[in-house]
Amino acid sequence: MEERKHTSSHYEMELQEIKNGLIYIGVLTETAIQMAMKSLTERDSDLAHKVIKDDDEIDTLDTDLEERCIKILALRQPTAIDLRFITTAIKITGHLERIGDMAANIAEKAIQLNEEPKLKPYIDLPRMAELVGEMIKKSLDSFIGNDLNMAEEVRRMEQVTDDLNEQIFRELLTFMMEDSKTIHRSLMIMQVSKNLERIADHAKGIADMVTYMVTGESVRHQSCVSDEKEPA
Amino acid sequence: MKRNLFFKILFSYLVIVCLSFFILDLLIKDEIKKVMTDKIEAELFAYAELIDLNPAQKMSDQLQQIARISNSRVTLVDAQGRVLADSEKDIITMENHFNRPELQEARLKGKGKSIRFSQTIGVDMLYVAIPMKSGSQITGYVRFARPLHDVQSAIEKIYQSIFLAMMIVAIIALVIALIFSYRLTAPIRALEKFTERLRQGEPSGSIILKTSDETKNLADNINYLVDELQSQIRLANEEKSKLMTAFTSMTEGVLILNAEDKIEFVNQALGNMLAEQYGDINGKTLMEAFLNADLQKSFLKFKEKHITVVEEVTLGSFEPVILGVSISSVHNYPGEEKVMVVFHDVTRLKKLEKIRVDFVANVTHEIRTPLTAIIGYLETINAGAINNTDDAKRFIDISLKQARRLNRLVEDLLVISKVELGEIKLHFEGVSVRDVFVSAMPLVEAKAGLKKINIQNNLQKNLPHIWADRDRLTQILVNVLDNAVKFTPEDGSIFIDAGQKDNYIVLTITDTGIGIPKEEVQRLGERFYRVERSRSRDLGGTGLGLSIVKHLMIAHGGKMEIESQLGRGTKVSLFFPMRIINC
Repeated sequence: MEERKHTSSHYEMELQEIKNGLIYIGVLTETAIQMAMKSLTERDSDLAHKVIKDDDEIDTLDTDLEERCIKILALRQPTAIDLRFITTAIKITGHLERIGDMAANIAEKAIQLNEEPKLKPYIDLPRMAELVGEMIKKSLDSFIGNDLNMAEEVRRMEQVTDDLNEQIFRELLTFMMEDSKTIHRSLMIMQVSKNLERIADHAKGIADMVTYMVTGESVRHQSCVSDEKEPA
Repeated sequence: MKRNLFFKILFSYLVIVCLSFFILDLLIKDEIKKVMTDKIEAELFAYAELIDLNPAQKMSDQLQQIARISNSRVTLVDAQGRVLADSEKDIITMENHFNRPELQEARLKGKGKSIRFSQTIGVDMLYVAIPMKSGSQITGYVRFARPLHDVQSAIEKIYQSIFLAMMIVAIIALVIALIFSYRLTAPIRALEKFTERLRQGEPSGSIILKTSDETKNLADNINYLVDELQSQIRLANEEKSKLMTAFTSMTEGVLILNAEDKIEFVNQALGNMLAEQYGDINGKTLMEAFLNADLQKSFLKFKEKHITVVEEVTLGSFEPVILGVSISSVHNYPGEEKVMVVFHDVTRLKKLEKIRVDFVANVTHEIRTPLTAIIGYLETINAGAINNTDDAKRFIDISLKQARRLNRLVEDLLVISKVELGEIKLHFEGVSVRDVFVSAMPLVEAKAGLKKINIQNNLQKNLPHIWADRDRLTQILVNVLDNAVKFTPEDGSIFIDAGQKDNYIVLTITDTGIGIPKEEVQRLGERFYRVERSRSRDLGGTGLGLSIVKHLMIAHGGKMEIESQLGRGTKVSLFFPMRIINC
């Protein structure tokens, strides 16, 4: 798609702006996740408040981008890959907006958790957050470079986050069984983990949309490749 | 080109030839026909009138003869149109001739003629008739007829010669066209060849033509343009190479965005700076290449205001690189605005700034702590404790201890700043490390003995001497050993080894102490940096010991390396450069 040029350079610029805008939102959401996790691990409630505040910007950017996409649909009436690009962009921005909301959710939980004593040192959660951050980055990279391999990798990573989520859930379960006082905190941490897992789902959604954009074939609702690699 | 011109000239000549042929045809064909017919007509009339002088009966007898002599067909017709005699046909088969146009005309005007196509012979026939009269009464008609194929053949003959002439002219035209086109195109062809060579990038000097017409001027102009172009290209290349050298040799990263905001040039420094993390960024936009919101914000700010934007941007999350970014426009042809982004790595600067700020904060903190203690105890003494001799003595002891610590701190600081500024004079000589260890041991043995720490000296006797300042070397060893003793729990061990590695003599002091967390190891050697602040201060350190060692090692042309495992121990390696010492 890169090599192809439209006769109208203005149209070309509009499409590029959509692309840039999407990446911009992506980078903001990624930063939001990082900051939210930092506010949790370093017990920094101020940072958490900042994340919640910054989410408004993501929301505004999301609606703005969607409007621009619709304008292009109406005025330029794109066809073929351009049409797929625009529809994909609308979908991806929706995913990113949800990711931003989840980062804000995590920040909210962090604020509540910071008011109570630390339950346990976080080990799996930061790992999961790192993985999720990488997934977002990779899904954006696949979007930039129309890179199907990268998209495939994101889908594979999503499985790992599912496993991590499961692991965290089991660990917290033992905490709750041992001491009922930890239930509240455990549940909160569980929600953080759940949020991260959902973010991973959204990153996978982005990767699916990229695959659709490049090939024109829908891969959503198909079973993941790594499913077949379950230990026998 | 030559072909084209040749055909053009030839074609125009041929058009002229054909045109003249047609005009000739139009003008003379009918004229010739008319002249010849008139001549035959006059001849026939002359015959007719001659015959008309004879009586009719005589005429019919001599008809054959007359016909032979006049070389025509002769017919006698009476006044009612009945055929009386004919030189060629049997009169019985012939119909009434009264309505023939030539007879009608002869009856009315006295002379009649007509040209008709004869079905019998298949050619145009000229019929001429005059009336035979007795008095004013018309008694009959004499008609002479002759086929006109003579006229036709005469015309054909003329045409043949005209056509031959045309052919000759056409051939001459062809030859002239060839010569003409050749001569005309010769200079043009030379110019064509010359420009073709230029187009293929051959440096071909200038073209000289032997002509003196317009092509000469053209050649001169082309020569001038070529010269001009080549000097311009040379100038541009010179500028470009200057610029490229500047770009590639500068340590700042530079990239240029084209009119579509896509990266079209990245200089070497930036390439090196980014290669690992970002890969090939050519052809991407800033947003796509760096995935950095701050950078994009600065860029949008620049786009909006069109003034140079200078911002600080942190790239990467694992090993953040802090970059001073300056975005400005490259003035080019209008409508083709390019953007230059200059990256200046300020990570080190920022780090140094942090170290400096930390240093000031640490110095004041380190000085204030003993001072607070001293002031506190002195105030207590002043407030009445002076009367209680035991307490007073204890307080004064503590104050003294703190004052000494203050003194030690200031002295250490002095040493460091002197080493750093290069004001300390090192008296280099060949020094036996073993000797220095022996002289340094008593200073730490007492402390080690208290903690029952076993110091094991594994230095060989035949170890080469190192080039060092004896006193400073002692200080280095004391500081390192002191640290080792301090951070090794009771019943621990300290090993002293030596060896050679690359071009260095390496002394290693290994302890079985508490160790240092991995991420803190690289910060050791910073002034006042302590791994665990409260505890090491309890142990009486100033926080400058390793810093002094680090700087002294640098002054010796060597270096200090520390490896550590938390809970297992620490290994300090001192690298002294090898030197051939004659002693």
